Amino acid sequence: MTLSKLSIRNAKRQAQDYLIYFATIILATALIYSFNGLIFSDELLKLSQFMTSLPIVIVFCSIAVVCIIGWLVYYTTNFMLIKRSRELGTYILIGLENQQVAKLFLLENLIIGGSALLFGLFFGNFLFQTLRAILLALFHMPYTFRFSFSLRAAGLTLLYFIGIYFFAQLKSRKKIYSMKIYDLIYFERQNELAVIQKSPHRRKIFFFSIVLGIIGIFLLLMRNLPSGLIGAVCIILFLYGFFLSFSSGIPAWFEKRPAKKYTGQNLLLFRTLSAKLATMGIVMATIALLFTGVLIAQGTGFILSALFQNRAEQTSCFDLFISSADPNTDFYDYFHYIQSNIPITDSKEYQTYQGETSQITDLLSEVGKYFHSYPYDFLMKFSDYTALRTILGYPKVSLEPNTYLIHCMPYLKSKINTYSQPIKINNHTLTKGKTYTENFAQYLWNGNGQGFIIIVPDDLLLSRPISHTIYAAMTAEPISESQYYELSKIQDNRSEEDYDTLYAKAQSEREAASMTAIFVFPLYYLAFILTMTSATILTIQQLSECNHYRHQFCLLQKLGMEQKEIRQVLRQQFTIYYTMPAVPPLLIAIPFILNLGNATEPGTLTGISHPIIITAITLGLFFFIYSIYIIMAYTSLKQNVLPK
Amino acid sequence: MLQVQNIEKYYGSKNNVTKALNRISFSVETGEFIAIMGSSGSGKTTLLNCISTIDTISAGNIFLDGINIAELSQKDLARFRREKLGFVFQDFNLLDTLTIEENIGLALTLNHSDSHMVQKQIKKIAQKLGISDILDKFPYQVSGGQKQRTAVARAMVAGQSLILADEPTGALDSKASKNLLEIMSQMNQNLHVTILMVTHDAYSASYASRVLFLKDGRLFNELLRGNRSRSIFYHEILDVLALLGGDISDVI
Repeated sequence: MTLSKLSIRNAKRQAQDYLIYFATIILATALIYSFNGLIFSDELLKLSQFMTSLPIVIVFCSIAVVCIIGWLVYYTTNFMLIKRSRELGTYILIGLENQQVAKLFLLENLIIGGSALLFGLFFGNFLFQTLRAILLALFHMPYTFRFSFSLRAAGLTLLYFIGIYFFAQLKSRKKIYSMKIYDLIYFERQNELAVIQKSPHRRKIFFFSIVLGIIGIFLLLMRNLPSGLIGAVCIILFLYGFFLSFSSGIPAWFEKRPAKKYTGQNLLLFRTLSAKLATMGIVMATIALLFTGVLIAQGTGFILSALFQNRAEQTSCFDLFISSADPNTDFYDYFHYIQSNIPITDSKEYQTYQGETSQITDLLSEVGKYFHSYPYDFLMKFSDYTALRTILGYPKVSLEPNTYLIHCMPYLKSKINTYSQPIKINNHTLTKGKTYTENFAQYLWNGNGQGFIIIVPDDLLLSRPISHTIYAAMTAEPISESQYYELSKIQDNRSEEDYDTLYAKAQSEREAASMTAIFVFPLYYLAFILTMTSATILTIQQLSECNHYRHQFCLLQKLGMEQKEIRQVLRQQFTIYYTMPAVPPLLIAIPFILNLGNATEPGTLTGISHPIIITAITLGLFFFIYSIYIIMAYTSLKQNVLPK
Repeated sequence: MLQVQNIEKYYGSKNNVTKALNRISFSVETGEFIAIMGSSGSGKTTLLNCISTIDTISAGNIFLDGINIAELSQKDLARFRREKLGFVFQDFNLLDTLTIEENIGLALTLNHSDSHMVQKQIKKIAQKLGISDILDKFPYQVSGGQKQRTAVARAMVAGQSLILADEPTGALDSKASKNLLEIMSQMNQNLHVTILMVTHDAYSASYASRVLFLKDGRLFNELLRGNRSRSIFYHEILDVLALLGGDISDVI
């Protein structure tokens, strides 16, 4: 049998033994290819000028992905080397040279890697189509399925792949070259050293790491870069300190409480856990760190995505919106351009006025994040209000004599509803009428009020000073990027002291879609890769201990443990094993995501985008992917280790 | 205490049946120390597995303390094993992740014993077996002899009525073997623990009060020690073993 035949046969067997690893490499390749596809897709990059930054961001992310997947491949290759050292030693024993064995091992890994690459490219094409469909939907463009294989994307994927495999193979090749038969045959006896298992400082390290963890979380929540960076360092120290000292902490705890140790299945559970942590504390800490990264990346991604979409929605109820704080302004320059370039279906030029008091602004100042920059309440003529509602297609409203209406953003409604005081304009008292919350361009700095506006009878405003002059219009077709830039040029030329506010619905949507593609897609990309890598390493470790588990459960059965109890112990050991590295990340990421969500402008993250719901979705998505790996590992382990 | 009545055990399929045990009958009284001897493939481990309920018999009956173990359900068999039987295996079968104390305590945990009393019971049995000073060590930190004494402690700690030992000295050096056998013998004489030991070593068997010889799945011979010295008994065992190499007719 030639070396190549032996390699193919071994590769087949390896792929079966390490099916989860193989599947992860395929998925990772598919992800890398699909994102490379975005870089080389002219169709997508031409969607907006903002999209020109997308390739740079994706390349940076891909470099990070290469490092992460490189670690996975290195870890798994090393793991296979340990598990198969006896077999490799036997090859040398029967006369093969170290170089030949190294070549055999390399060939096997290249066959596995090469097959994963081919499968990955195939699935990557479908994944690219999915990303393309999502992007086109974000840009409100029609999607048609078009199967296309990008050679350039495949070439770049191959380049990354060489990078991933090169380092791992180089290391294992070096190891095999320098090994003696004895080393190989007894290699599996080597184990990761329990770094501080017996250290007298364990307790100190444990408590110190907990304190660092708490400090780290607080620093991360302070919302500034230096403290965030120090916080991140504290979190890293916490995770490593915690996982390395915790393993010897559990036996110490039970030593003092023997009755607890011998209650139920505690003895088997705590010993399995502490043995696992003692041998793979560093791996557990690294995985916990990666999970923290996953949750933060996913949560940030969701928040940014919701933020971009909601901002675009809230600023863009009109197709075009121009506002000026100069009471004597006219929009002649704009109108001149619009008349000859942009077909308008409906429009309105109107003013907002300064109220005599700031009573509602003051009231809303009590709402945590409400921000105002004018010392008065904004007022609007009822006739302008009804005309604008007609343009927007909102239901008609009426204004009872001697009353005022309020139109506000949804998040302020509950506070405004608690208010029932009358307002005075020109010695005329108006009582409070209804409140409306449809989208009304109130999110803007210089919109229809700031968060709210008071609607009053027209005649009361004849002598009130003007606050803003506004032009709002609906267009026959979405305003194009070039049209928007022409309008921006006019805006730039007009600015002397106060800058006009200029918003175009189509442009806001394009910006939101581009920002989502540039910031959110790469975050999800990293999050998926990190989750898959971590879960794969945990699963490989778990499945590699089939023999240990089988021996344990066989003995327990002989000693009289019931099948039901054995299954229960396996389930519990499994749950603890997979829960351990996920708990610290949850404690770090949940406050981080909630804090980040609350740091956004008021009114943007409401309803389904509320920070609490985003946190729940983030955790849901993470545990969904994680549980796929857990179920796969559990099913496989159950079949292999439970005594019949 | 134990009655084995005409048990048979077949392996294989319809066309290729192997008789591992062929109409074997014997009984064991409380407090007896019995050795079962035979060459490889004679059926001694199969017999022990059937008595220990790890394997099932094809025909016959096994009664332990009056209970027919063939009639017990899986759940009852598990309870029966943990309450009545203690196991000592050739390769110790201790859990590597548990300390010596915890390996002994495991038998009590499985029996749902009062968790406050567990440590006390472990200390008591450990003292009798001379392993008190290694209780906090892990199996890989102690010698083979100490591991096997731990296994004996685990087999007795929950008050099991019958200890089944499968080649307990198989992995020990001669000094450790002697030590273990003396301890087992003392336990048998002082605490009246009933022991059923499978061995192919005549020296180990000479510690028993009775030796059953198996050949090709059948009970071939039986030797009672009576009041003879261990040395004489040892030589008698060797004589039977010499015959065991020949045909049954040679003996009869």
